Amino acid sequence: MAEVHVTDRDGNVSAVDAPGGRPLMEVLRDANLGVEGICGGACSCGTCHVYVDPQWAERLPPAGEDEQMMLDAIKEFVDVRPTSRLSCQITVDDSLAGMTVEIAPEV
Amino acid sequence: MGAINTKILLESKDLERCPFPIPVGWFFVDFSENLQTSEIRNIEILGQEWVLFRNEGGKVGMTDPYCPHLGAHMGHGGKVVGDNLRCPFHHWEYNTEGWCKNIPYGKITPPIVKKQAILRALPVVERYGMIWAWYHPECEAPQWELPAIPELEEPGHVKPRRGSWPVNTAIQEIAENGVDFAHLKFLHGSPAIPPAEVSFDGHISSVNMANGYIVGKGYGPGLNVFHFTQEGVTATMVSYSVPITAEKSQMNMSFTHKDFPEGSRELAIAKKLVDHMIGQAEGEESAGFESVDFIVWNHKKYRPNPLLCDGDGPIVQYRKWFKQFYVADPETLAKI
Ligand code: FES
Ligand code: FES
Ligand SMILES: [Fe+2]
Repeated sequence: MAEVHVTDRDGNVSAVDAPGGRPLMEVLRDANLGVEGICGGACSCGTCHVYVDPQWAERLPPAGEDEQMMLDAIKEFVDVRPTSRLSCQITVDDSLAGMTVEIAPEV
Repeated sequence: MGAINTKILLESKDLERCPFPIPVGWFFVDFSENLQTSEIRNIEILGQEWVLFRNEGGKVGMTDPYCPHLGAHMGHGGKVVGDNLRCPFHHWEYNTEGWCKNIPYGKITPPIVKKQAILRALPVVERYGMIWAWYHPECEAPQWELPAIPELEEPGHVKPRRGSWPVNTAIQEIAENGVDFAHLKFLHGSPAIPPAEVSFDGHISSVNMANGYIVGKGYGPGLNVFHFTQEGVTATMVSYSVPITAEKSQMNMSFTHKDFPEGSRELAIAKKLVDHMIGQAEGEESAGFESVDFIVWNHKKYRPNPLLCDGDGPIVQYRKWFKQFYVADPETLAKI
């Protein structure tokens, strides 16, 4: 179990328990923090976009091709930063304990 | 005396009639004239149902029926819109190659939609006034092109006579007759087992029977072109059987010849040749396939290890050639 610090779209910060092995998207979705995760992690909806704290961003495995394509696609609608990630592609594990993410605006 | 070989006595219990998967190749789908612009039709061939349509630009598409979005059957309520087939459920649209060209409400196009076709669509070409589809179980691209058939594509030939027959067997079994020379004497009643030469080269098989009486080529599993020549007059038989299910095929044939003048000797010979290809012809002692082959095809089992004798045709070589068109797991291939 890792605790993740989340800033929601209203700027409220909360700590969320994230069981290891789950996609971060599901954790955020189930905590009702505004992440929809419509496609269930297929990189086809772009509704799970988060900004990862820069220090943490570099520790994550890099985005795959489909994730990168989706991030490129949503650029038209929202601010996509170097630390932008699709939270459905991030699997929680202990090494992420204490990670800070911010939920990006809706597309 | 050694122990009796019971394998040969008991093997047939475990044999299947048609252990074959659907082979790879170009297959006849329908005649071009039967599919109008904007028409959509559900067809069952090649082991499953497909949606066949002609877009407003005249191009033919043949796709899996089930929409990659939420699985609606696009052959029930779908519509041709411009170049595309539109799903009735949420109006996603697909072109003839299976690329999704429109999602009318999403803001963001899912990346995979930009990268590749998401709906299985068979490569389709129209040749000889027919619609042909390339089938590969793993969606690989065509490995050869359909050949030119001047008799069907160039002027100077009579409008082909066509025939179509359902058969309860796989197409490998049907075409095996083409190299089973002995059955021509015994099943068809021809006066002798005709001398024949057969060769195989890539996807093409060639046969020359009775010193040029029948000369033909097979282009993969779904197309054969035979020339029958008698007294210098040639008639052409184009055969294009298509698998419907593993155990059901549709045999299709077109027969044509040069546009000989009415009342000429040549016309009479050509017509007789065509009659003879199909069934009993006057003045011919042997029977065409319609009268005798079906009864065998419809009831036989496939013996992967047949007991052949020295007078048999090149059955084994033919099967080896045909096997290249099967893409399947080793267990399935072992039964073929
Ligand atoms: S859940 Fe749809 S892209 Fe992440
Ligand atoms: S199921 Fe076809 S568009 Fe939704
Ligand atoms: Fe025959």
